[in-house]
Amino acid sequence: MQRHEVKSFVVKAEQISKRYFRKTGAANCFFAVKPLSLTLEPGTVTVLCGRSGSGKTTLLHILAGLLRPTEGKVRLGEKDIYSLPDKELSALRSRSVGIVPQSRSVLDILTVSENILLPQTLYKKEADRQSAEQWMDALNILHLRDVRAGELSGGEVRRTAIARTLSMNPPIILADEPTGDLDDENTELVFRCFRQAAETHAAVLIVSHEGDALKFADRAFRMDGGVMTELT
Amino acid sequence: MKHYSLCALFVLLLSVVIAVGSVSFLGPCVHEDGSFGACHWASRAILGTGILLTAESLFALLCRDSRMRQGAFVPMFLTACLGCLIPGTLIDLCRMATMRCRALMQPAMILLFSVSAILSLIGFFVEKRRAGGRA
Amino acid sequence: MSMRQLPVQNLLRRPGRTMALAALTALLAFSVFGGSIVVMSLRQGLNSLESRLGADIIVVPSSAQSKVSFQNMLLQGTTGAFYMDADNLTRVREVEGVEIAAPQVFLASLKADCCSVKIQVIGFDPETDFFVRPWIGQSYSQELGELDVVVGCKVEANVGENIRIYDERCKVVGKLAPTGTGLDTAVYCGMDTMKILLKAAEAKGVSHKVTSDPDDDVISAIYVKVKDGYDIGEVNSKIQGHTRKCSAVRTKSMLTDVSDSLAGISKTVTVLIAAIWALALVILLIAFAMIAGERKREFAVLRLLGSSRAMLIGLVLKESALCSLAGGVLGVLLASLIVFPFTTLIETKLGLPYLRPEISSVTLLGLTSLTATVMIGAAASAWTSFRLSRVDPGTVLREGN
Repeated sequence: MQRHEVKSFVVKAEQISKRYFRKTGAANCFFAVKPLSLTLEPGTVTVLCGRSGSGKTTLLHILAGLLRPTEGKVRLGEKDIYSLPDKELSALRSRSVGIVPQSRSVLDILTVSENILLPQTLYKKEADRQSAEQWMDALNILHLRDVRAGELSGGEVRRTAIARTLSMNPPIILADEPTGDLDDENTELVFRCFRQAAETHAAVLIVSHEGDALKFADRAFRMDGGVMTELT
Repeated sequence: MKHYSLCALFVLLLSVVIAVGSVSFLGPCVHEDGSFGACHWASRAILGTGILLTAESLFALLCRDSRMRQGAFVPMFLTACLGCLIPGTLIDLCRMATMRCRALMQPAMILLFSVSAILSLIGFFVEKRRAGGRA
Repeated sequence: MSMRQLPVQNLLRRPGRTMALAALTALLAFSVFGGSIVVMSLRQGLNSLESRLGADIIVVPSSAQSKVSFQNMLLQGTTGAFYMDADNLTRVREVEGVEIAAPQVFLASLKADCCSVKIQVIGFDPETDFFVRPWIGQSYSQELGELDVVVGCKVEANVGENIRIYDERCKVVGKLAPTGTGLDTAVYCGMDTMKILLKAAEAKGVSHKVTSDPDDDVISAIYVKVKDGYDIGEVNSKIQGHTRKCSAVRTKSMLTDVSDSLAGISKTVTVLIAAIWALALVILLIAFAMIAGERKREFAVLRLLGSSRAMLIGLVLKESALCSLAGGVLGVLLASLIVFPFTTLIETKLGLPYLRPEISSVTLLGLTSLTATVMIGAAASAWTSFRLSRVDPGTVLREGN
């Protein structure tokens, strides 16, 4: 399988934190992410693990430009992404950030292949069908390409979302529990695909509770109560 | 694969309205002296055509095979076209546009038969596609 | 598939939702287009009647029945036969201020040979007539010969055919343009033909005499044009005083009744359209709000993949505009299938002058109805699209865990 070399970016989170306010209860203010800094280097796979509610997904969304941090900055290359207007940020996300969210993230009315090509068609880009088919083949969903996403199983939906992200050929890949619905065989397959993406200079962050993920990691972090510590 | 045709169902409903309407709420002029005008015979012909269309559409509805249904739509289309021509063209009506046969029966019947003809045509091509897809 | 096709695909692949929304917008287009055509046709009918009559004053026999009968004849095409002494024509002409006084004679045929309907026969004097001749002139330029008749557009007889009136074979030499009034169902002939028909009627026992003298001529109505500079009201009073057993009616006052009825119908139709639009708008707003809840995840995914807020708003607006356009076309088509083929039926039921507007006005109205429907559909979805574009994709995609 081929993956084009991508223009690499360094993602830098500088002293970012996320604070939420609860409407009820005594502790009405809490930190989902306590102030932390993180750099995602091109060509590396970074794995972030931790228990549920530890702030992993919040951190991933902040890095993806989907959730504004309470404090701190996120830089993509030289750009502070949260200083950009919505239109520019959206276009930047479309070009540079591939996200595999934790939950079902396909459009049910579209077929698998239409879902995979969707990010490329959003900005009238020429659809790279060859790359899409290669990733579908690699993730064992090529035979499902004309099936509507609404008819897929959880694992198939997950692999469709991963194929979509990889087909975008983005310099940054952020995957949130990408192997949650998958069996061991497919889990291994998915991690290999991410490893391969990193080899073409993509910066990959995988949020996972699977111990297997660590085998493919260049760096690993653990998150607990909004605090991130590096595993050595 | 669907084993029924919505077009046939709609034509069936329309043809029942045609047949029942031609002798009741969409019927010809009522003559006080009990005599019959030309429009009476037009309504009789419409009744016959309506019953024929009902039978044809029922057949199309009950057919389980796409190709049979496709074939059934051909006479349905032709019968509906014939129905359009009955009031005023093939059989004369009363000579005053304000009379019931011209103001109500003629436009209503032409409308109902035309819609039936269009639906039959659509039904034909839908079944053709279904049959083609299966082959 | 491209981003441009996404709204179309969204509509096509959710047929149930699309059909429900389209049906609702079809109702909007149907009501506004159908209702407006009816109101426009009524206005056109009244204008046509006003211009057709052309007279300032109409003199009819003084009995109350003849006035009602005359009005019904004009508006609903019912037959009327009432007579007064022909001397009255000379008397009217003697009144100062009268420019032209044109007589007409009415005869209601017995059951015609084709169908059990009576036909109104109107005889006019070619010398003085200013009422029928300009109208006939559009379809028949020669003088009407003996037993030649011209028929209104609603009499289903073609030029060259014969129609029997009191066993007299009359030749149809022309067919008149539609006026939308009761005049469309009448048959017109010259006074010579009328005399023959009156005799034939008498032979069948239908009397039209007003005096015992068998040689006395009769007329049914006199159309009066007042000279410029004279007050129509004054001339009207003078005619009233100068004639015998006659009633002079100002055309304007007769038409006031018609325009009052028209105003009433217009108001009812407008209120109905407004009520339907208000109701449909509320339903559309609720429907779009419900859809918003259902489509949150879809929009979160699109945001995740790099759609800007503006792109999402555009997507929803395009979808609702397309859906409303389809519904609008359907509604206009359905309304056309009812108001146009059944024009005569609507006219008969309303009992008012009713003349279909010209094709250009109908086309313009159709386009306006479509535009209004598309805009209301887009407006109803505007708030929803705004809300959906503000969806926080992170939160939405976590909700489903």
